[in-house]
Amino acid sequence: MGIEQEGPGGETPLAALYHRALPQVYGYLLPRCGSAVLAEDLTAETFMAAVAAAKQDRPPELTVAWLVGVARHKLVDHWRRTDRERRRLGAIVSGVEPVDDPWEAQLDVAAAHAALSRVSAHQRTVLTLRYLDGLPVAEVARELGRSLHATETLLVRARAALRRVYEEGEGNDA
Amino acid sequence: MTPDPLEALRLPIMPVEPRPEFAASLLRRLRGERAPVSGRGATVRYFVADLDAAVAFYCDGLGFDEELRPSPSFAMLYHGDLRLLLSVPGRAHALPDGTIPDSGGWNRIVVQVPDLGAAVEALRARGVRFRHEIVTAVGVRQALLEDPSGNLVELFEPLAGYHERAPQAGKE
Repeated sequence: MGIEQEGPGGETPLAALYHRALPQVYGYLLPRCGSAVLAEDLTAETFMAAVAAAKQDRPPELTVAWLVGVARHKLVDHWRRTDRERRRLGAIVSGVEPVDDPWEAQLDVAAAHAALSRVSAHQRTVLTLRYLDGLPVAEVARELGRSLHATETLLVRARAALRRVYEEGEGNDA
Repeated sequence: MTPDPLEALRLPIMPVEPRPEFAASLLRRLRGERAPVSGRGATVRYFVADLDAAVAFYCDGLGFDEELRPSPSFAMLYHGDLRLLLSVPGRAHALPDGTIPDSGGWNRIVVQVPDLGAAVEALRARGVRFRHEIVTAVGVRQALLEDPSGNLVELFEPLAGYHERAPQAGKE
């Protein structure tokens, strides 16, 4: 299956998939990016990757789920670059001490989503994959190319960082 | 074990239609991977420092038409069969060693005008820089001017003895 071959409707498979998949891929990226410009860039990168993949000798089966998976990689890559650039500028604040107190049982979900934009890109990545996307920790580790143990540690720190900015934000709103 | 309160952050995919212009341009890009070459004339790319100033120079000063300006760093202009791409140099143009292209140099596009004297006068009134005033060469009078980023444009007016290939049958 490739973009070169025409399907029964005279459209290439990717073109046929495009109209169905575009709102899904963009709908995945937009709330996670928090910026329409970035969501458009990553959406374009995702579909261009599909064109390239369709030209391989053993192309993957092009489905919405496959495209969303590519979009997730693109998002992780983007945040990796963001963190690398900020680290070069010396702007990353890390060293949040993990706390073990339970979170309040009822989270203000909108406030917690908003708080994600105020933790480092690295922490945002792991929280997005684990909680927004609902991936098991082992899959999060695979996406990040890290060991299970390192990923668990990262998650603990990221949760602590999120909690801190979440609670700061709550204080301001109330 | 208590349930993880952060599980409430789960965000199932809600389909969102992107801007129609974006959807259409991305589809063109996807199809354009193997689209046949359809342009009739030549295409030249100039690197410019200031896209707005460059578009104003070519469109208002030299009669080019703006076909596309999809981003703050790229415009596509036409002058007859000539397609002129204007790009603000950036990461996308960088060579593997990091070199980023620059404006200027000595190569130039060559544009015919009906009355060189009038054209030069009008451009001078707009504050355009000339690298060379009007000179008479074989079959043409010509002048050399710079766009706001220092790219050259040669204007010419045919004189007696001017030659170019006549339009060929079957081609416009």
